[in-house]
Amino acid sequence: MFSRNCADRHTCFGLLALRFNYSPYLACRTAPRTCTSYSTPLGNFALIFGDDDDGPCYLPSYAPEKAEDDRDLLSSEGVNGGGADATSEEGTSEVQEFHRNEDEYPPSQSPSDVNGFKCISYNMKELDLDDDRRSAENMEGSCEQAKDSDIEVEPAAGNGHVEGYKSYASSECGGASKSGQGQDTDLLKRDLIPGKQHQNEDDSSAAWRRHKKHFFILSHAGKPIYSRYGDEHKLAGFSATLQAIMSFVENGGDSIKYVRAGDHQVVFLVKGPVYLVSISSTDEPLRALRRQLDLLHGQLLLILTKSLEKCFVKNANFDLRPLLGGTENVFSSLIHSFSWNPASFLCSYTCLPLSHTARQAAGAALQDVADNDLLFALLLSDSKVISLVGAQKASLHPDDIFLLSNFVSSSESFRTTESFSPVCLPKYNSTVFVYAYVRYLDTDTCLILITKNSEAFFHLKDCRARVESFLMETHVLRDISNSVARGGLRVEDLPAGDSIYGSVPRSKRVGTVGDGKASNSTAAGTKERPGVGGAAGLWHFIYRSVYLDQYVASEFSSPTQTPEAQKRLFRAYERLYASMHGAPGGSHQMQYRRDENHVLLAWSTADFEFFAAFDPLAEKSSAITVCNRVCQWIRDVENDFFFVGASPFNW
Amino acid sequence: MFKVLPAALMVFLKTKGFEMSEWDASLQLCVFDTSRGQCDGHELDKILFFYPTDCPLAAQLSLIGLGEGLITFTKIFSPDAPCDVIDSERRLHVLFQPEQGLWMIMVLDKRKENSEIGRTHALQAVLREAHGLFTLFYGSLKALLSNNPSGDIARSCLHAFLPDYLADLLTGKKLLMMSSHFALQERGSVQMTALDRGTALEVQSLIDLLQSWFGSGRICHTLLLFQDLLVSSTLSPEDAAYLFTYARMRLTPAAISATSSGHSLKKSPLREDSGDQGLEVFTPRPLQRDKWWRDHDGFLITDAWGVEAQGMSAIIPTVWLHQSSEECMQLVAYQHKQLTVIMLISVVHLAADIDGSHVLRNQVVDKASNRLSVLEERISRDWGGINANHVPGYRYLWVDHDSRVSKASPGSKITTLTKDSLLSLDKVRAEIDAAKARSDRKDPAQFRELETCVRTRSNAWVVVRIRGSHELYIVLERASETLLLTAEATEKFSRRHCDGIFDSD
Repeated sequence: MFSRNCADRHTCFGLLALRFNYSPYLACRTAPRTCTSYSTPLGNFALIFGDDDDGPCYLPSYAPEKAEDDRDLLSSEGVNGGGADATSEEGTSEVQEFHRNEDEYPPSQSPSDVNGFKCISYNMKELDLDDDRRSAENMEGSCEQAKDSDIEVEPAAGNGHVEGYKSYASSECGGASKSGQGQDTDLLKRDLIPGKQHQNEDDSSAAWRRHKKHFFILSHAGKPIYSRYGDEHKLAGFSATLQAIMSFVENGGDSIKYVRAGDHQVVFLVKGPVYLVSISSTDEPLRALRRQLDLLHGQLLLILTKSLEKCFVKNANFDLRPLLGGTENVFSSLIHSFSWNPASFLCSYTCLPLSHTARQAAGAALQDVADNDLLFALLLSDSKVISLVGAQKASLHPDDIFLLSNFVSSSESFRTTESFSPVCLPKYNSTVFVYAYVRYLDTDTCLILITKNSEAFFHLKDCRARVESFLMETHVLRDISNSVARGGLRVEDLPAGDSIYGSVPRSKRVGTVGDGKASNSTAAGTKERPGVGGAAGLWHFIYRSVYLDQYVASEFSSPTQTPEAQKRLFRAYERLYASMHGAPGGSHQMQYRRDENHVLLAWSTADFEFFAAFDPLAEKSSAITVCNRVCQWIRDVENDFFFVGASPFNW
Repeated sequence: MFKVLPAALMVFLKTKGFEMSEWDASLQLCVFDTSRGQCDGHELDKILFFYPTDCPLAAQLSLIGLGEGLITFTKIFSPDAPCDVIDSERRLHVLFQPEQGLWMIMVLDKRKENSEIGRTHALQAVLREAHGLFTLFYGSLKALLSNNPSGDIARSCLHAFLPDYLADLLTGKKLLMMSSHFALQERGSVQMTALDRGTALEVQSLIDLLQSWFGSGRICHTLLLFQDLLVSSTLSPEDAAYLFTYARMRLTPAAISATSSGHSLKKSPLREDSGDQGLEVFTPRPLQRDKWWRDHDGFLITDAWGVEAQGMSAIIPTVWLHQSSEECMQLVAYQHKQLTVIMLISVVHLAADIDGSHVLRNQVVDKASNRLSVLEERISRDWGGINANHVPGYRYLWVDHDSRVSKASPGSKITTLTKDSLLSLDKVRAEIDAAKARSDRKDPAQFRELETCVRTRSNAWVVVRIRGSHELYIVLERASETLLLTAEATEKFSRRHCDGIFDSD
């Protein structure tokens, strides 16, 4: 039953899909060649593309006589329990189809194991060479095209927005020269080292105990499923201890939630037969840590669906680790995002800044392909949403976007190949797999088409081609790459003068108000105030639209350009948000907090939430004036920073 | 070393005696010694005290098992500061290690405490105060255990003390501090009465007079109270705070028995010592209610420490101070109207054959009673009444942690705050506690400076300002206030009532 060309983890995942009555379109990711293997009760089949892209070819890559041995192995592991018949039937029907196809297409070589992802990969490198070339050419000559093209998308600055945004958008052509600035400021984000770190450590090692933040997933029987640091095998004893503690309290009719020991916090979360625990000394609020565990569980569901619980019902000692083989990057990337991505605590997503016209064009491209087969279509730039459409009455939760974009962006394979992968959207429906067609249109821009139909690959491939072609024709891809190169909002770029200072006396506009480091610059020259961020010592802000479930965060400005300062600010925001929403009896409407590091202002209204960080010497009056102006300014240019859904396909 | 720990811990937790069992009590309090009962089957020996006393042994063992298990577990990551809070769906456990190896756990049932339980630091302060008062009257638990390794004396002392202490905290079966104005109080601090310069000099002169006498023994320390406010103390801030707390609980004019008539010295029931000698040892109950009354000469008498064999006179209470190498001192209290003088007499200076208290009484009555009477009148005249500290429009608490002094709005005014405001205040204080702990961990010597203004759902403002050891908490329930007006109001308060300590400039 298992392909010998694949590691056990791949075939086990395929097996799980069968076991849960899902399509056997679950096999290992294969690269660099264009093949995909299918695990079925009767053997493995590889799906391979020829260079002429005339459809998949199915062929047995595994001798059927070996299947018997593997089935025994499966039974001995207790995976293939009583429900085997039903899954076998489904598997058989697939096999019949494959055999039919087998006659039509020539055999090819077996897949090679790369990283064990359970998705079908179609290597389109050769097929899309022309497209790629076109794309590259387009990127290089984007500035020229901006001037010359007949199908010009109206520049954002000319879109009737306030003066402040003009300065932001006018740098469009200069984007290349400022390339990477946006990313460069976010040092925390760049810290991620892919894959599991400190693999050889265990609980006996002092270095392991000193890590500031541990995450553990274990089964209710105490079997380790995932540990951020160290080898799960070696941590079996530690995992059993965690289980013992939780079970001990459960036996008393209670459930342990939280333990504090000095600067360490241990947070427990029970999700059916899956236990999640974090042990941290990061000074994060309990509410944020709980949410992180919740997201970790969501990521587990995204990979395996809630049906994993059935495995534990059948066999309490079921070992889930083989099914998660190759997903270390997904979890490590998610955990890393807990220390840089505001979406991890805001329960919202952020959009790539884009002119309203360009975003509308992107939305139109997605809507153009929306049909009964398509559940959701997302256009992402890294973790930022460009546009999305959904089937009527279907809404995509911000957490699902967060987890899905993490899943896609944490795997290099998605970047290089055209993929069709089963995923679960936990907030949409945690019990079933849907299928995600993933294709990067350029370095950062990723199109994700989600369907319930496991056979929809070729249809979605066509859809992708149409979307890509439309985006190219309308130069939206060029706008996107310009926006990426330009980076996000910078507080230094906020419009100066009366539009931002409002009623602040002119004497106080010079330099920054209350800031000893103020220069003699004029109010108009915000960029001439080195070391103080933006107006009135504004260092950073996050604006969250409550009704859109979206936020916009500025780039980190010069006073917060060290990783330590950024992490400190990120944690401070987490605490602000937790305080705002964790208040018994209702939200705190406004908060002002000053310590030796910064002045923080938080404002909660029915429409939006606003968080801002200022220089610690900033005056209250100036800070409030700036906050008011920034909020007003963001509302004025809302269409460029938020995806404001208006079509019937939008949620 | 740690390689074996988890497995050992798991076995420990799963020991038959440590099955978690359900016990339905609003509040539980236990004191246990991790160094005792190491052998299988001897786990009960760990328990020094458990409240409620009728709690089944299985439930007692299960709580201690959980506590000890998590203390061991958290030491893996935080060896210097093991577990201090365990929160579960139904219960909140607050742990405190008052002495090495000795732990106190307070368990609150969340379902029965209607109000939100926010500040775990406040609950730890309760445990700290309980231990501080216990040590004041009995000495350290370690000393008791080393003098009597069986632990019987320590157990009888804890059983004589803690139930009375808890009785003061509980209203019915609920913890009093969760439901009223405790949000603007700082446990373990003293509240002072304001004195003008002349009165302060008079107080100092009187104390010097008292402490200059060498009669039956030397008066080492004096604590002077007016009503339930501290006038003067010669003790260290820590000892003064504990003695002041005790005086407020049992010695103030409002706390002592209403009338002296009806009180007579009775031989108190004696407790059997566990020894085979049949020696009868009386364990004092310092917090027993209605055990203090005023004698005809103005001195306060209690039989909480027992009565002499002849039944003629009460045994004079003794206390142990932290500041004087844990020297045992006799506590003698004199009261004139609203003024209470607590005198601590060094026992080592007492002549064995002299009734020291009798000599002292005569001296105080003869030489100091008139001056005390005059002083009482003077302070009464200057005192602004129970609402002396009230500032209209403000509900506040000002704490100086260095001197352990606090000043707050009167309780009757604090109770006028809405529940929303109190809950938000509690929440903000919990955040401030965490921020202080965070800053202390990073650099304990750093001068702390924090400012927080939070507008609650009901438009009230909660303001916190911290400067070094000084902390100011204010609640303003004026809905129309903006942040700037609130900051202005705080500045005004700081200038007028806090000597400008919390000014922004």
